[in-house]
Amino acid sequence: MRTAALILFLLFQTYSPARTPDGKPNLQGYWNNAAGSAPWDIEPHPAAFQIPGGDGIIVDTPDKKIPYKPEALLKRNDLRENHEFDDPQGHCAPSGIPRQTYTPFGFQILQPRGNVVILYEAEHAYRVISTERTQHLPGSMKLWQGDSIGRWEGNTLVVDTTNFNGRTWFDMMGNFTTDSLHVVERYTPVDANTIQYEGRIEDPTIYTRPWTVRFPLRRNTQAGYYILEFACHEGERDLQHYTEDTGNTEKTKK
Amino acid sequence: MKALLFLIALLAQGYSPPRTPEGQPDLQGIWQVRNTANWDIQDHAASHRIPAGLGVVEGGEIPYRPEALAKKKENFAKRLTDDPVEKCYLAGVPRTMYLPYPFQILQTPDAVMIMSEYVHTWRFIPTTPLPRYDGYESWMGDSRGRWEGNTLVVETVGFNDQTWFDQSGNFHSDALKVVERFTRTAPDAIIYEATIEDPKVFTRPWKMRMPFYLRTDLPRVLEAECYLDAEDAGRPIRGTHPEDRGGAKGNVR
Repeated sequence: MRTAALILFLLFQTYSPARTPDGKPNLQGYWNNAAGSAPWDIEPHPAAFQIPGGDGIIVDTPDKKIPYKPEALLKRNDLRENHEFDDPQGHCAPSGIPRQTYTPFGFQILQPRGNVVILYEAEHAYRVISTERTQHLPGSMKLWQGDSIGRWEGNTLVVDTTNFNGRTWFDMMGNFTTDSLHVVERYTPVDANTIQYEGRIEDPTIYTRPWTVRFPLRRNTQAGYYILEFACHEGERDLQHYTEDTGNTEKTKK
Repeated sequence: MKALLFLIALLAQGYSPPRTPEGQPDLQGIWQVRNTANWDIQDHAASHRIPAGLGVVEGGEIPYRPEALAKKKENFAKRLTDDPVEKCYLAGVPRTMYLPYPFQILQTPDAVMIMSEYVHTWRFIPTTPLPRYDGYESWMGDSRGRWEGNTLVVETVGFNDQTWFDQSGNFHSDALKVVERFTRTAPDAIIYEATIEDPKVFTRPWKMRMPFYLRTDLPRVLEAECYLDAEDAGRPIRGTHPEDRGGAKGNVR
């Protein structure tokens, strides 16, 4: 069945992306995600005040929800109910991976030889993804954005990221991470202006199984566009006031 | 005459930098200064937790207008609290280049990228004639690059008036224009020059000059999340936020 699917996929995969001078699929340019309301909540959710409803971006669990272990789900629910303003992104901390890809801001992909560089508008974050390094940093080195190493599989850029510090969230709803997080992203160009983006999330300490987010990236073709500075200062505290001011007063004021 | 001078310079230099397959000088790698310009770009004796250093300003003096010099002295007196880098703000140009943090230079045929460890600062420097946005005002400015012989020349405008050149209060206005020159002069060294122009603050343009050295011990640039690191260390940075008078309630754990 899997082989048949692969053959079908190959037959219908007619798009052949442009190449960089060193022969790699050319993903360069300005991109925006089409992840809908995932920046607020990556699980299916109804609309709420200032939050658009949506079906989420999780594609491989039966209910499109994160497959938490019971104690981890309790922790998530506590963060969601009582610590909404602790969302690190609201304080301008780096978003982490894959959340950096579905912030509601644009980003630019560049391909210096042996690397893929992503410059994000959000939090003026960046990633340098070496396609030549073969080993991750020692496990004791913990980072907000983790340590990414890339490789090309056909037309797909595959990025393996470990060494997370476990302090980032997936969204504004308390969906947290640990430092055991392992993310494998796949960037597959499907036409000149679309990349299919996929992130496989693995963390046996809090999930019962790996799970996957998927959404398209669309090319920004606006003439003369380049990324403006987003000088989000770490330690920003407006989110706390915002959540207090939008009906969560009782919970956040204790 | 110019061509002759250039030839002499080339001969005297005796070093031809590696080139990318497209023929541009290859500046790629992880680099860092080994100087104390971050604390003071002029000559300074050591002071508490600040190493002594020779200045990086050509001729030693910074040509301040009289009223601007008074402002610099005021900044110096309040440097431990008012330095924008003490508050973990973006460091601006050229200071990002001589912070005590490594940065990586990467190149494509159309652009140069500079990625600093300090608060994940990136600089995107197109070497194509990309028109600038009107009225752009920012911490890091809006850069355009070009190649002149072995040298990358970067012109940056579009600054705000919030960054300092060092911890000693050397400052500029939003009329700042910086022209940087990056020349690889050895496998493990880049000579860096920055010409500073700001008629609101200085009576004439002036220049800094310093080497960058290759960091061969790092497989990648790591992260320095200034503000969050200060919170982790139990020394939260507090600025003008109203809560700073009464203590913060929310925190990134």
